[in-house]
Formats: sequence, structure tokens, C-alpha cells
Amino acid sequence: MQDQPVLLDVQHLSIETTGAGRGSAATRRTLIDDVTLQLAERRVVGVIGESGAGKTVLARALAGWLPDGLAVRAGHVRYKGREVVGPALQGREIGYIGADPTRALDPTVPIGPQIAEKLRAVQLRVGAAEAREKVLALLAAVRIPAPQKRYLEYPFQFSGGMMQRVMIADALIGDPALLIADNITQPLDVTVAAQILRLLRELVEQFGTGVVFVSASLPMASEVADELVVLQSGRVIERGEPGHLVRAPAEPYTRDLVLKIPEIWTSKASAIARSAPVARSDAPILNVQHVSKIYRVRDRTAFNRVHEVRAVRDVSFTVSRGESVGIVGESGCGKSTLTRMLTWLETPDSGSIEFDGRDLRALTARQLRALRPQFQLLLQDPYNALPAGRTIGEIIGEPLAIHRLARGREARERVLQVMHEVGLPVGQVDELPVSMSAGQRQRINIARALVLEPKLMVLDETLSSLDQVEQSRLLGLFERLYQQHGLTYVYISHDLAMVRRVCSRVAVMYLGEVVELATNEALFRDPGHPYSRALLSAIPTLEPHPFDARQCLLEGEPPSPIDLPVGCGFANRCPRAEARCRERSPEAVQRGPQSYARCFMAEALYPEMAQ
Amino acid sequence: MYFLGFLVRRLAQGALIVLLVSLLIFTLLRVVPGDPVRLMVGGMAPDSVVQEASERLGLNQPIPLQFGRYLLRLIHGDMGESFVRPANGASVGGSTFDDPSRAERASVLGLVGQTLPLTLQLAALAFVFALLIGVPLGIAGGLHAGRWPDKLAFYAGSVFVSLPNFWLGIVLTILLSVQLGWIPSIGYQGFVYTVLPALVLAVEMAPFILRTLTVSVAQVMNEPFIDAGAVRGIGRRQMVWRHALRNASVPLLNLFGIQLSGLLGGVLVVEYIFDYPGLGLLTVNAVLQRDFPLIQGIAVLTSAIFVLINIVVDLIAATIDPRLES
Amino acid sequence: MSEILSAPLGEPARLPAAAQPASAYRSVPHRILARAAATWEFRIGLAVFVGVLLVTVLYPWISGLDPAKAAVSMRFKPPMPADGASWAHALGTDQLGRDMLVRSLIGLRYSLAIGVASVLLMFGVGCTLGLVAGYRGGRPGALIMRVTDAQLSIPMIILAITVLGVSRPTVPAIVLVLSLSGWPLYARVARSAALAESKRESVRGARILGASDLRILLTMIGPAVLPPIAFVAVLDIARMMIFEAILGFLGLGVQPPTPSFGSIIADGRKYLINAWWIATMPGAFLLVSLTSINLMGAALERARNAVLKGA
Repeated sequence: MQDQPVLLDVQHLSIETTGAGRGSAATRRTLIDDVTLQLAERRVVGVIGESGAGKTVLARALAGWLPDGLAVRAGHVRYKGREVVGPALQGREIGYIGADPTRALDPTVPIGPQIAEKLRAVQLRVGAAEAREKVLALLAAVRIPAPQKRYLEYPFQFSGGMMQRVMIADALIGDPALLIADNITQPLDVTVAAQILRLLRELVEQFGTGVVFVSASLPMASEVADELVVLQSGRVIERGEPGHLVRAPAEPYTRDLVLKIPEIWTSKASAIARSAPVARSDAPILNVQHVSKIYRVRDRTAFNRVHEVRAVRDVSFTVSRGESVGIVGESGCGKSTLTRMLTWLETPDSGSIEFDGRDLRALTARQLRALRPQFQLLLQDPYNALPAGRTIGEIIGEPLAIHRLARGREARERVLQVMHEVGLPVGQVDELPVSMSAGQRQRINIARALVLEPKLMVLDETLSSLDQVEQSRLLGLFERLYQQHGLTYVYISHDLAMVRRVCSRVAVMYLGEVVELATNEALFRDPGHPYSRALLSAIPTLEPHPFDARQCLLEGEPPSPIDLPVGCGFANRCPRAEARCRERSPEAVQRGPQSYARCFMAEALYPEMAQ
Repeated sequence: MYFLGFLVRRLAQGALIVLLVSLLIFTLLRVVPGDPVRLMVGGMAPDSVVQEASERLGLNQPIPLQFGRYLLRLIHGDMGESFVRPANGASVGGSTFDDPSRAERASVLGLVGQTLPLTLQLAALAFVFALLIGVPLGIAGGLHAGRWPDKLAFYAGSVFVSLPNFWLGIVLTILLSVQLGWIPSIGYQGFVYTVLPALVLAVEMAPFILRTLTVSVAQVMNEPFIDAGAVRGIGRRQMVWRHALRNASVPLLNLFGIQLSGLLGGVLVVEYIFDYPGLGLLTVNAVLQRDFPLIQGIAVLTSAIFVLINIVVDLIAATIDPRLES
Repeated sequence: MSEILSAPLGEPARLPAAAQPASAYRSVPHRILARAAATWEFRIGLAVFVGVLLVTVLYPWISGLDPAKAAVSMRFKPPMPADGASWAHALGTDQLGRDMLVRSLIGLRYSLAIGVASVLLMFGVGCTLGLVAGYRGGRPGALIMRVTDAQLSIPMIILAITVLGVSRPTVPAIVLVLSLSGWPLYARVARSAALAESKRESVRGARILGASDLRILLTMIGPAVLPPIAFVAVLDIARMMIFEAILGFLGLGVQPPTPSFGSIIADGRKYLINAWWIATMPGAFLLVSLTSINLMGAALERARNAVLKGA
């Protein structure tokens, strides 16, 4: 490591707020405290830490781009011996990629000319035609298909993953020797993030840049970095080579960090109390049969034509009483639409949904309203899901008022009782939920649903905005509620680690279809569908990967749902695609009781695995 | 291809709106109490004359029928003739007993054709003045939000919007015309007569520009991509002039269409005060004289102009910001 | 590894308040008002307006002057501080010897009353239609929006002149015509706000719980959408007052002998050269009143933008 020239030399850097405008020195806060790190050419240093650790402040300081109100109090940041602060190096020698690619460029100008504009701003002698050529070359290097066409497209026409590639191209166009990647994979889906990471590694090889990779995800940083630096409250807690750091962390904080990453691949991971679906002979509580939904969007390029967006295509599955079923998929897979239909907020165009044996379509509005208490939905956002300006008691009691189930003292009794059950401090029943944390707010949501004594709870990314600790606590709560009330759960999530922990059966969705339905163990051991395999391979984890992402996932993005290709929707990214995959849509191949995969090449599992 | 679809759709909607407007005005005129025929022939005229005039002008027929005939003639480009004004230009009517409907009437289209150019001239000059006042101050206010340019824009806007236009016209006339004798004010005998009315109109338009620009410029400057320009190596000046202003102009354009009908009101009053012989003055007089065909024609024309301007504005906005193409 | 089952079950989570500051909850309208009231612009406007109100209420009563009573011996007295003026007639007198200040104040009463009444009507009708259009959408919503589009293309002044020019303008008629000119804007704003509000998670949650549309409109969307619009409606009071003055100027407003700004100024045009104050003083008075209202209104608008978009 020492034989490479040092690109970036950070010595005892301390950054604090300047308290500008307030005039009092007493309110200054130190955000970065005595940080030292070095980066050589062709090396990747990963900086990890939880939110609030100061990662972005550090990243911006390294790029010489401190926001107003912050200043360097001590130490220095030197790039190739020169001080970094100031416009001389930015865009030229140092490139910065941020976490929000969709808002990093002017939305009213096409992306190509904007990158060219940057190039001509940092390298004054480049002419217009030459700039365009360089931009096209770089767009191809970041694997954006059809760069000629996309050169003139606007930021809103790019998906998140594609836009991040554009921003990488934008950062590289000035031929920088140093790249700062600040949380670049955070807003992206798992498979897309995996592709971006792969791209980053290849670019480092190709261009020889040094990279500072800032991330909140330890597994993700370990995959790219040669050296890891752990940041907590602005201080460097520990540093070392990733493998070593994970196996034998020296500091307790690091050890904690490592422990918090859920295990996915060990057999202990799915040691949930009810791992096996209980064999049920009675009717399922939820019966979804061949449900489809098409949205019609006006075609802007023609006068009177519409596009058909096939959001959900022929989805069928059943949920037995007491089960915990997970529905996973990335953005655009149709799970949100499916969720809305499961709770009958929208009606399917075709197919049927039966709850507890009753066909929801056949109900009148009044009957539906009366049935609603029995199947409830919990939403993701704990802050926005609660109505403003009401006390906890009012929020939880409202469903009772809506359905006229109880009033006055009886209502209050039930509210208090349910608060106690979900673990909310009963004394706060008449307070506003203002100072409550996300986890507590979700408990209020749960209480609100619970007070109606439902039989089925659909959780739409309910735990996604919570940290690991809170997630564990709430999962425990769900377990207890099952034991006391016999609740059935349907988890909609993109978080495979969580689904691994609690779901007995899992459905994988892609482009509106359920491409695989299997038991927990079967899915994670031997996925039948190449997409499931790709998804599992892309999960960032500290354990050894049973599936190699490079072999499971090709470049490319999911096709647009407006323009669905004939045949299997995954064919363009599938390493095992054959000719027939592009001609016909695969049927479901049974791989065990209640398990199937929609792939021509799915073979039946070992029979004992399916049980 | 997209463009054509958009245009056809908007033009169709526009035609519908123009139709609705003309129907509304048509009905309103004939429904509101007061007899136009009596106004024309004079209050002293005997009933037989009134009856005869009314028949000849077709005013005693059911309204839908009248409207149908009107539409038919409209399609042939014939907007009819003024009830009141004779072909030689003077305006008649009043208390003398006369049946002016016998003489040759001025064509509506002709009257409008005479006055429209003057009004357009007034509007254009007023627009230029308003931009000169509003744009520099608005941009400065937005770029330095919270500091003195912003506050100046705020106070200036508030004062301007509180000035009744007719009062301002009077005050400016007293000051600039009577006391200082710099600019003439009443009537029209040359381009310079447009300046004072245009100034009053500009003061009316400026607050809207000020308010919208300060807000939208300040908002755009807070967007992430402006900030990101610095770390990408693009200078702040370039970010402001090439990107910020571009984005900030879109809300201005969007709101402009809505403001349009209010501006016409201003034109009417200003022309009335300054006796400026444009479309506004023609309108006011036409209404006060119950000159149905003229009112009708003006209403159809102005709503058509509005529709067209709105389409043009939307097109320009969509060109600047392609996200609006929906 | 992960301690799922060993985590304490159902304990009241004593977690540190993560994201929300532990300050007292203040509703959105409260915050908008507080923020506006902190600015100098608002305070100046408020102070001037209160002053004007006090004068309007008290002065005619204190001075004992009758706005309609002609006193020919007192005609054409100039305002202070020109010579020949007196404090008894601080703004001068008109061609019939009537005191300008008192006439202006009475005119202001009518002006304010009409302005407020028309804004209330516009707000009520426009917002109701807008809320329904925004929350329900579909056919009725589209229809309402088409109507607003159509009405926005009619120059209101033409409509006003047409309606009022042919029949005797009474105060209710004036209020009606003024309201007609403004309701489409309220409908549009209310609709887009209702649309945005309907997409909130809390509304979705309420619908899942089984709340009826009416309940959601009344308890959630209405209270969220209406107060910010109401604050900015203050600006429209000033706008309607000017509109009324214009109508008065054209002879279509409140009819004499009741004084109204427009008619006073219109009358005063004849005496521009000799007694310029008849036309200008009432206008100046109106200007001051309106500026104070507009300062308050613009401050409220800024505060609303800051609270809704910044927060």
C-alpha cells in the first residue's frame, strides 16, 4: 500500500458549525473530530457509520465542498499536496457523486449537454463537438444503453439506477484522480445497487481512480473497499481491512455494528417459532385468484392513444390462517398495486379476492365497510400515517367511532387495553404523539388496527423505516399478538433479510407477476427462478455468498411496464435465457406443494425440502 | 407528432370555450332587464317604432334561435353590425327620437379592426415597462432572499398593488401632464400618447411579476442541483444565469395565463380614463349603449385571443420545462 | 446474532426522541400566523390598518360632520397644509362643501364591507367546489375544472359592466358580481391542495379503517387545506376593494348619494385643475388602507409558503 503515491491525505481534521448568524460561540457543535485517513491511487477506502455519524460532512469536506455554516477548525485535507478547499480542484481532479442523483442536474436541460457543459467549464479548451464525443464515450463506459439517444433525454426520463450512472459519468468526465462516492446506493433497489457497485469496481480498474466510498451499509462497503474506516459521532473508531474487521472487531462499537447485520444464510436465520406452514384443511383466510390490474395512461406522443401499464398480471396465491406470508420485490414490481387490491382500496380488473370465504367484489359498499375491521393494513411511514393534531387516544379510538363499535367509557377501556398490549405507555393516552420515535408511532398504528380485532394484517413496508433494534422489537410484538389472537400476517417488503426472519412462505414479484412462490427455506436454499436467484445474490451481507452476483445478474434494467416484451420479463437480464424465453411466457412449474416458479428451467425440488 | 396532438386537443378545447363564452354573453345581454331597442331609438319613440325595430333586428325571437343564426353568420366571418354606430363613425343614440337602425351601420369587424391595433400597442408597451420594473428587482429579490432587495421588492409590490389604476392615472396626469407638461395624456395623436396609459398598466402588472419572481427564484436557488453545480466545477454565475433563471421563469409563465383576464380589466379602465381609442374604450361604450352585436363580437374575439395566448404560453413553458408535457 | 426472540417483548419502548423536536405541537395555521406576525411587514400593515379602522369608526362620530350635507359656503376648501385649510376639514371639502375626510371614511366602510363579503362568498363557494373536485376527482371534478377554465377566459370586467350596467347596482348585486370574478381561482387552488392532501398516508389509512369520504373531507382534508388559503384571501379583500372602486368610477358601483371611492374620484375629475384634492385625497386614503391590508396579506402569503414548503 505504501508504494502507491498518496492521493488524499487527511490529518487530524476537525470540523464544526460556525454558528453564523446566531453570534454565540457557545452553540458550536463539532461534527468531525480529529479524523485521519489516507488514500492511494487505485485504492478504495470505505467510510462507514450510522446516520448522524458525520459521513456526509466528511465526504463533502474531502471534496472541498463544505456547506455554509460549517468550517474546518483544525487539521487539513490535502490532495496531492495541495489544500482541497476552493473551486480549483472540484470537478477537475476530484469528482463527487451524491446520494440523490435524480435531483443533481437541472431538470429542464437534457443530461448530455449538462455533462458537456461541466466538461467545458473545467477544461476550457474543449470545443463543443469534442465535448459531445467524450460524453458519449463515457456514457457508454458506464453501460447506459443507446447513449446517442439518451444523450438528449431529460433527468426525469431516467430511472434511479440509470441516473446514478449518469452522475458517475458526470463525475468522471473531468478525468479526476479521486472520486468521492457519498451513499450512492442508498436510494436504489438491491439488484440495481449491486450493478452499480460492480460498475464502480470496473471503473476503478479502468481509470485508475482512488475512491472514498461512504456508506451506512457495512456489508456494501466491505464488498468494494480495500480498507474500512468506522466513524461514530465524527470520530474514527477503528480501521482495518474489511475481512479482518468483520471477523475480529477490536472496538465494542464495531462489534455492535457487525452484530446488527442480520444473518441470512445460516440455518439459524430462519429459526422462527412457526417455521413450517401448518397444514390446513379449512378454507384459507385470503384467496387471491388470477388477479390483474391495468392502468391506462395517456400516450403523449399521439393524439388519442393510451398506454396500458400492466401493473399486476395474473397473480394467484392463498394464505392460510395463522401463516406469515411475505411478498417481496423491487420497485415497479407491482406489489404496491397488489397491496391496494388486497385491501380493496382498488378493484382488480379481472380475477377475484376472497377474504374468509367471501368474494370482495360481490359485497355492497355497506357490507364492505362492515367487513373492513377484519382485515387491516399497516403502512410504511410512521410520521405521515398518523393524522395531525390528535391525541393518541383519539387516534386509536377513531376506528371504534367510525364503525360504531363502542363509545364513551367502553371505547376508552378498549383503547387503554390495546395500548398496553402493544407496549405503549398508557399514561400518554391524552398526549399528542409529537415527541415519539418512529417505532412508537408504528405501535400507535398497530394499536389503531388492533382495536378492531382483525383477523388479517397486511404490513406494507411497515418496518422498512425502522432501525434493526426497533424492527426486532416489533417483530416480537407481532409474534406475541399471533400467539394471543391467532393473527395472520402478510408482509410486503423489499427487505429480504426481514422476510427471511419471519415469513413461512415467500412470493417473489417481478414486473407484475409472482415469479416464484416457495417456503422460506426452499427459496433461500434453492431458488427456482433466476430472478429470485439474482435478488438473493444481490443482498449485501457479511457472510459468504452462496450465489455469486456476477453470475446471476446481467447488466440492464427491467423493461418498462408500458412496453412489456413478449415472453419472460426477466429474459434481458437472465444469464440462462434461451430463445424460447423470449418467445413465450413461462408457465408455473410446480416444485412442491404450494411452491412454484415461472421458468422453463425450474426443476422440481427435493421433495422433502418443500415441506 | 406529440406537438400536433397537443395542438389539436387544445384548439378543440379552446373552440369550446369560445363557444361557451359567446353563448353566455349572448344570453346575458338578452336576459338582463333593460331594453336595447328603446335605448337605440330613444326613450321618446312610440311603441310601434320600437316594435318594428325590434322585429327587424330579430330581437323578439327566442334566444336559441337568435344564437343559432348568429353562429351561422359568424362562421362566414360576419360579426354583424353595430346597433348604434353608423358607418361614418360617430356614435348615436340618446334622447332624441330617431330610428338610427335605418341608416347604414358600421360593421363590428371593422370597428374592432380599427381599435385592436391601438390596444395591442398599448399592451405591448405596458408589458415592456412592467418587465423593466419587475424583472430586475424580482430576480435581485430572489437571489438575495431575506435581505434588502427582497424587502424592497416586497414593499414595492404591496404598494403598487394597492394603487387604484384610475387614481394613479389621474395623479400622473396632474403631475406629468398638467403641472410639468412633459407627456400628453388624453386621447391619441401619436405614439407618445401611449406612454402614460402604458405606465399605469405597467404599475398594475408589475406586482405580479415581482411576487412570482422573488418566490420562484428563491425556491430554485434552494434546489439541490444549484448547489451541486459548485462541486461539479460550474461557477455560481453560470448556474444562476443558465439554470436558475430558466427554471424560475416557468411558474411565471404558468401564472401569466390566469392573470390575463384581470389585465384586460385594467386595459378597459385605463383606456376609459385616458380616452385612448382602443378596444377597451370601444367595449365600455358598447356596453353602456347596449350595442349587442359589438359586445358579442368583442367578447368572442377577446376570448379567442385569450385561448390562443394561453396555448402559446403553455407551449413555451413546455419547451423550457419538458416535464410539463402532460 | 440477531436477538429476535430474546428481545424484551412488549415493553414500552423508551427510545430517545429521534426525529421530531420535543417542542409543543403547533397546528399549521398557528405556525403560519406566528411566522407572519414576526415580520416587520406584517406588523406595520397591522398597525396602519388598525389605525385606519379606528379612525373609520370613531372620526365621523367624533367630528359630527355629515357626509351628505352640503354647505355651500364651505366649498372647495383645500386640504392641509395649504393656506385656507383648517383642521376641521383636514382633507378639504368638495364642490358642495362636504368634508372629504368623512366622505372617504364612509366610503371606506362600504368598501371594506363589500370587499369582505365578496371574499367570503368567493372563498366559500370556490373552496367547496375545489375540495370536492380535488378529493373525489372523476367526472364531477373535471366538469368543475372546465367551468373554471371557461370562466377564467371571460374578462370579468365585461361581465361586471354587462350585469351592473343595465340594472341598478345594489350592494348585493355588486357583491355577487365581484365574487363571480374570483371563485375560479379559489376552486383551482383548493383542488390542487385537496389532491395533494388526498395522497397522504393518513388519508389512505383512514380509508382503510373504513372512514367515509365525507368524514375524511370534513375532518382531515378540509382542516388541512382551508386555513392556508384563508390567510391568503386577505390579499383578495384589497383586490375586491379596488375592483369595487373601479366599478364606482365607471358609475356602476354604490350609487350616490352614498359616498364611494370610485364615484367621489370620478366626480372630482371635473375639478382637476382647480381643486385637485377632490380627486386625489380619497385615493390617497384608499391607497394607505389598501397598502396596509396588502402588507399583511403578502406577509401571510410568504409565511404560508415557508411553513408549507419549507417545513
